Amino acid sequence: MTEVSKKGVKLTSEKVRKEILQFFKNAMESKLIDAVMMPMQVPSKDSYAWILIKDINLLEDMNPIAPIMPINAANALKRYTRKGKGKFKIAVLMRPCEIRATIELTKLKQIELEDVILLSYDCVGALPMQDYIADPENNEKKFDKILTENNWNSEDLKPVCNICDKFSLSASDVHFGLKDNEIIILSNSEKGEKLLSELKIEDKKDDKIWAEKINKIKIEKAKNRQKSFKEIKTMTDGFTNLQDTFAHCIGCHNCQSVCPICYCRQCYFDSSVSKPNSDVKLIRAENKGALAFPLDRLMFHIGRMSHMSLSCVSCGLCSDACPVDIPVANIFSYMASETQKTFEYSAGESVGDALPMRDYKLDELGELGKLVKSAEAGESENE
Amino acid sequence: MSKLLTINNNPEIAVKEFLMFLLEKEKVSGVFSLRKVNKNGAVDYGLITDKSHLDEIVPLHPLMPINAGQVLSRFTPIEKPIAAVIKPCEFRAFIELVKREQGTLDNFLLITYSCSGVFPLKENVNGSINDQLSAYWKATEKAEIPSEIRPTCRICEHFAPVNSDILISLIGEETGKCKMYLNTEKAEKFAEGFEGKISSEEFITSKLDSLKEKRLKEKEEVFSKINTEESGLDGLIDVFGRCIGCHGCRNVCPICYCTLCDFESANFDYNVPILERELEEKGALRLPPDTIFFHIGRLSHMSFSCVGCGQCSDVCPANIPVASVFRKSGERVAGIFDYVPGRDVEEEIPVMIYKEEEFQELGE
Repeated sequence: MTEVSKKGVKLTSEKVRKEILQFFKNAMESKLIDAVMMPMQVPSKDSYAWILIKDINLLEDMNPIAPIMPINAANALKRYTRKGKGKFKIAVLMRPCEIRATIELTKLKQIELEDVILLSYDCVGALPMQDYIADPENNEKKFDKILTENNWNSEDLKPVCNICDKFSLSASDVHFGLKDNEIIILSNSEKGEKLLSELKIEDKKDDKIWAEKINKIKIEKAKNRQKSFKEIKTMTDGFTNLQDTFAHCIGCHNCQSVCPICYCRQCYFDSSVSKPNSDVKLIRAENKGALAFPLDRLMFHIGRMSHMSLSCVSCGLCSDACPVDIPVANIFSYMASETQKTFEYSAGESVGDALPMRDYKLDELGELGKLVKSAEAGESENE
Repeated sequence: MSKLLTINNNPEIAVKEFLMFLLEKEKVSGVFSLRKVNKNGAVDYGLITDKSHLDEIVPLHPLMPINAGQVLSRFTPIEKPIAAVIKPCEFRAFIELVKREQGTLDNFLLITYSCSGVFPLKENVNGSINDQLSAYWKATEKAEIPSEIRPTCRICEHFAPVNSDILISLIGEETGKCKMYLNTEKAEKFAEGFEGKISSEEFITSKLDSLKEKRLKEKEEVFSKINTEESGLDGLIDVFGRCIGCHGCRNVCPICYCTLCDFESANFDYNVPILERELEEKGALRLPPDTIFFHIGRLSHMSFSCVGCGQCSDVCPANIPVASVFRKSGERVAGIFDYVPGRDVEEEIPVMIYKEEEFQELGE
């Protein structure tokens, strides 16, 4: 049985973590789950890593709500389930954007969720990784304070977290809601409902006070979001501005390597197709008088955008990994919001929503569609 | 005996004029150099074929957005001559890539200079490089180590390759003159007709000995702090534990030329039972797996040819001192064979040559 905080007492970061860990302990002890994946501080204590544990004694070393997100959990889970399901039931605690990435990767056939239970929590955001690495101790304190004070607008957080309005319940099976003075547990799927009932935990999915609180924050965040989008639009409007925005890019492709959605083993832009022969390079240089190296950097970003923006979950890892401080995450977040709006699609919201580019509707095929339909009509007449 | 071409002008201007001369006289079909590309002060490499673009170039700018050796190797084979102004470690990387059959030196006029080091990329992005440039050139004139440069540059002792076609002497020189050492016949041919005083003089490396000593001293200090070989796996975990597996170090490494790294290939896509066995044996499993393995693998694959350019450290989002570790390890291994990466294109990479007597034991 999970110990529920008493009303009236302020919910501290310590208590949040303790109660979440207790939940997992109970689930492991009851043999409802075999293994748990959660962040754990690395031995040098200057970052976190995703650790999948089977030994229940290791649970106390985990930090369910880490101050930073060095790797998107979806990428970690992908490496365990890419080749299909195993024999263990796994519970994974993630930030909501990581849940969304997991859902997208499931649709892209990179993750198998059959034996996985996804758990999420109301996320205040994460600190930039490099800030943390530079001074882990103080950043640990800084984050505890943000968590305890429930400060959803701290300037210390990653810029992309400040414009995130999907920080709460997403497509997880079980969710931990943070109220001002208590933590509530709610189910969000049949799988989650079953787990809560087996653990004899009261399912608080109809908690109105919590829902109101979340809605209020969402409205605030949506405002930040619109403001940032406006800035990004001005910054990147037209070819020259776009070129200036990415001018410092050195073509390292870190943004692509850390992106949970960019799952290609070899990016097109790293393949030999993207390495033209020298005579082609010389012709290109002669056509314009000069040719820039590394080649096709802007093309890479536009290409990546067109490949993944429909599934972009705005986790911000790209910005964290950029060695030349390009605000990749906010740019991609803006683009994603536009492309996803066009297709009435919301990345990571539900496994059931088909990926727009993988879903074909007959009427989309236009003329051809009409031909097919008339052929079908002809066939049915003949029958 | 190499020839010295002395030009009565500041080196930056002299180099620009020289490149202009090469393009105008159609001695080369293109010029490869660093250039400033936009109002934000961004710097990249450009292949310039039209002389109207030559005013964008900043050939001696202390920045390395990408190791030019990597770019040039992918530019070969080329049928028309190209002049390239690159840094010593970029030159050495190119040489290593040629040895590894990733390019040829044909049709390149390679111009290097005695290099004081480069600034970390972020110093350029935030603009602080502009306040440091005058101090940088002063330090260069006095043959001192400029402050705020890349840690790997501080410990580099191969900063004046005398076997490039042309070596421009910058360190310890007055700024009013440009001394270009024409080390090859090719260089002499290209420089023919360019205005300047020609004399027979060799580049005296001993002039740089005091700077070299300073750098070697710093190198020993840096190396002594990297104790990974003594502390074993725990030491490696301490250094590389915060790695996020982005493989940015590999992507920017001029020596890592593989189109698809083994560690990104299907070889490392483990079947679930393998992962489950490890999970059961150890009680825990870090995901993605093989964090340390990747670095050890990369060390064993490329550290032999590591030229210490420092790109890996500069792009590491987790601020791991990759370059220092790789430099130390590479130097220790290459040292056994008295091998210096990029020193000489004729010098074979020890692990790539086989001598019959090495198989003697096996043969017997």
